[in-house]
Amino acid sequence: MRGRRRDLWWTVTVAAFLTVLAFLVYPLATVLLTSFSGEEKRFVLAANYQRFFTHRYYYSSIINSLYLSTLATAGALVLGTSLAFAVARYPLPGKPFLRAAANLALLSPPFIGAYSWVVLFGRMGLANRALEPFGWSLPTIYGWRGILLVFVVQYFPFVFLLVSAALRSVDQSIEDAALSLGSRPRRTLCTAILPILAPSLTAGGLLVFMGTMADFGTPMIIGEGLRTLPTLMYGEFMNELGGNPAMASTLGSLLILVNTVALMAQRYYAFRKAYNVVCIQPLRVQRMGRGRLLLLTAFAYAVVGVALIPAVTIIISSFMPTKGPVMYAGFSLHSYQIIFHMVPRAIANTFGLTAMAVVLDVLLGVLVAYLLARRRSRAHALLDSLIMLAYAIPGTVVGVGLIVVYNRPPVILTGTWVILLVSYFIRHLPYPVRSCTAMLQQIDVRVEEASISLGVPPFRTFLKVTIPLMFPAIISGAALAWMTTIGELSSSILLYSGPWATMSVAIFTEVFSNHFGTASALASILILAAFVPLFLTYRFLGERSALGV
Amino acid sequence: MTRVRVGQIVKRFGDTLAIDGVSLEVRPGELFTLVGPSGCGKTTLLRIVAGLLEQDVGSVLFNEDRMDEVPPYLRNIGVVFQNYAIFPHLTVAENIAYGLKARRVAPDRIASKIAEASRLVQLDELLGRMPGQLSGGQQQRVVLARALVIEPRLLLMDEPLSNLDAKLRVQIRSLIRAVQRTLQITTIYVTHDQEEALAISDTIAVMDRGRVLQVGKPWELYLRPANRFVADFIGTMNVFRGRVEGPGPAAGEQMVMMSFGARWRVRTDEASGAHVSLGVRPESLMLERGGNGGEPWNSLTGTVVEAAYLGAVVRYQMRIADGVEITADIHNPDFAAIRAVGDRLTLWFAARRAVALPGEAGGA
Repeated sequence: MRGRRRDLWWTVTVAAFLTVLAFLVYPLATVLLTSFSGEEKRFVLAANYQRFFTHRYYYSSIINSLYLSTLATAGALVLGTSLAFAVARYPLPGKPFLRAAANLALLSPPFIGAYSWVVLFGRMGLANRALEPFGWSLPTIYGWRGILLVFVVQYFPFVFLLVSAALRSVDQSIEDAALSLGSRPRRTLCTAILPILAPSLTAGGLLVFMGTMADFGTPMIIGEGLRTLPTLMYGEFMNELGGNPAMASTLGSLLILVNTVALMAQRYYAFRKAYNVVCIQPLRVQRMGRGRLLLLTAFAYAVVGVALIPAVTIIISSFMPTKGPVMYAGFSLHSYQIIFHMVPRAIANTFGLTAMAVVLDVLLGVLVAYLLARRRSRAHALLDSLIMLAYAIPGTVVGVGLIVVYNRPPVILTGTWVILLVSYFIRHLPYPVRSCTAMLQQIDVRVEEASISLGVPPFRTFLKVTIPLMFPAIISGAALAWMTTIGELSSSILLYSGPWATMSVAIFTEVFSNHFGTASALASILILAAFVPLFLTYRFLGERSALGV
Repeated sequence: MTRVRVGQIVKRFGDTLAIDGVSLEVRPGELFTLVGPSGCGKTTLLRIVAGLLEQDVGSVLFNEDRMDEVPPYLRNIGVVFQNYAIFPHLTVAENIAYGLKARRVAPDRIASKIAEASRLVQLDELLGRMPGQLSGGQQQRVVLARALVIEPRLLLMDEPLSNLDAKLRVQIRSLIRAVQRTLQITTIYVTHDQEEALAISDTIAVMDRGRVLQVGKPWELYLRPANRFVADFIGTMNVFRGRVEGPGPAAGEQMVMMSFGARWRVRTDEASGAHVSLGVRPESLMLERGGNGGEPWNSLTGTVVEAAYLGAVVRYQMRIADGVEITADIHNPDFAAIRAVGDRLTLWFAARRAVALPGEAGGA
């Protein structure tokens, strides 16, 4: 008998495990361990946690975070689901525009969204200054209300896209059956349609919850000192008086705990509630009176319009003459001239590091996806969970973990570009892994077996048959990884040093030094850089692209 | 031409025994069919021959060559899969050329071989198409050409017709048979459809629960099934129980007292006093006793409980005793052959048409 040979796939398995252990598990374990360490490097059990939960300065952060994320999740769910239903079920005009706009709203990272609201409604904001002559003033955009607004506007498109996809898989016969059994429309919605959508609704909710819990830039820019877990963690770690890694790790551990619990709860729930739905005829578009239709159309366009405000504001303001945070009417390329003069390095860094990270993500992602889909074993299930861990871990925590582990011998990465690359690579590895695994589950293994039986050895079969068939998934996985990496702030802000600042870091510092023009110009480039791959993917793959997150 | 021998193959999946010590010999140039219900191990056995699965125990030989250590891509086998397994990103011509390119055949030779193979399966018009533009039957022909063009030692087919509609199934079936005869290529064919197996095979092996129950020519399996399972799986069989009373009037015959009261003359080797199961096919039953002198005849009397008139055949379900029902097919029925539910009916069959089914004797 042929024994289990240590073939290429064995090597890939080992390499993937080593990568994940070195760059994710070990740093996170170190963060957890550090959270139990004392100031004299003595092992003091839970002293930091005790301090956390007894000092208002600390514990208010977790209350704020939970409060904001819960409200934001609820808001995004209501808004996203309503819009999805409106588009799927009623004869709204311009549906392709609404769908495209919801996709576009995902392009700007949340902290840029936050900044755009400051540009509009901040103290020196365009709207406030426009209203000034009339003696009017708007309610403040700063503080928790502003954060909540940004969170809801930034994250509801995720819910919209997920629920829209799920709605497309509900067959009309389900609604017909419920109605014919005497169930009134509202009851039918609650008892027949929504339960089928439950896995997608909770998946969307989870995405919003974890994303807002981890969001560092938004509360920093618009929160006016409001402490959340990530901002306090950053503050504790980067404190000018020397920093407190133990307390930062405690905060990081609590973040991990909250997100992991949310993730597990959703997985458990969705697993129990997953139904096999076969959709032959999608849900019908319903008729509606002209007045109500007009109201609904106004609602849909208002929601999508608000979602597009950040990108539009940023791009327009990047071409306006500015003086500090004040922008004037007119057209100017001055901001662009400044950034190409002052921070060309940051632009190059961002594109270079993102490209490298995406290439590495795709290379490892494709191989790992093949293992997960085709060689299911206990070890591979573990690898799957470990890689997906990267979804649940906030960038701030990854950043702190990498610094704590790699700022001492034997391997010192702090101060180099490598540590940024590592963070980008490991955090966005789940995207190609997910998209390729899903694709592989649809490709019949027998196609590969046919190739092998025709005389092409397994690895060449993988290259000649499997890879070409996976191509759409590879592209959409790469596009997603690119879009999410290029504006990454929460770990970059911790990991960059000296010449290795990225555009996101540059935007952040420009905003804090009140250089709004340059911030807008940099942010416009970021948005464009995220848009191009998305556009190309849709253009060339059309329906085959699986960008539904 | 290749002779295939598999010896004492055992294959387990976790706790289930998929193949339980199977040995078979496939003669050079024949079409050998593995038939059985789903889960009987037929596809597993085929995949072991192809090298896509490794057996736990046992050996596979092509002529005198042991294949156990040979990886699938070096076995030189053509495989045709149930769901085509066509390469969707390649044209018809590229699909067919796939195995030739792997063998580094010269481009001009590839072109002529593609032309030849596509003519053989009647595809020559479609060489430039993508698989998405082909019907199921056309896709299956592409896959057949792709498997044949490499001039394999052996052709393996795993339920190649099950995704086609009834009409195409018959069409492709005769195509496969014609091509296989022309090329005289040793072929192992897997199906769960007994009719397909009867129609296409030189030799059939009936499998159940990882074992081979009987190997033989199609008519051997049909007329002399080795046991109850084969009798039921290949065609339909009425099975009765009885006890041997003693020798019948002619040599080799015994008189059997049936459980429902009739006395039959049948050919069996069982001794007096032995319990036997006797099988009679529905089409062996007739409304009249045949005219042929010297032939011993047996009869059955009962009440019609169901009648289905199908034109060429009228099928009766008849109760001959409490809890004993049989099926009878009266072929080419005339007006006189029509009975209604509730009618009494007597049917006759020639004694040699009853098959003694061993391994079923005990009990009643």
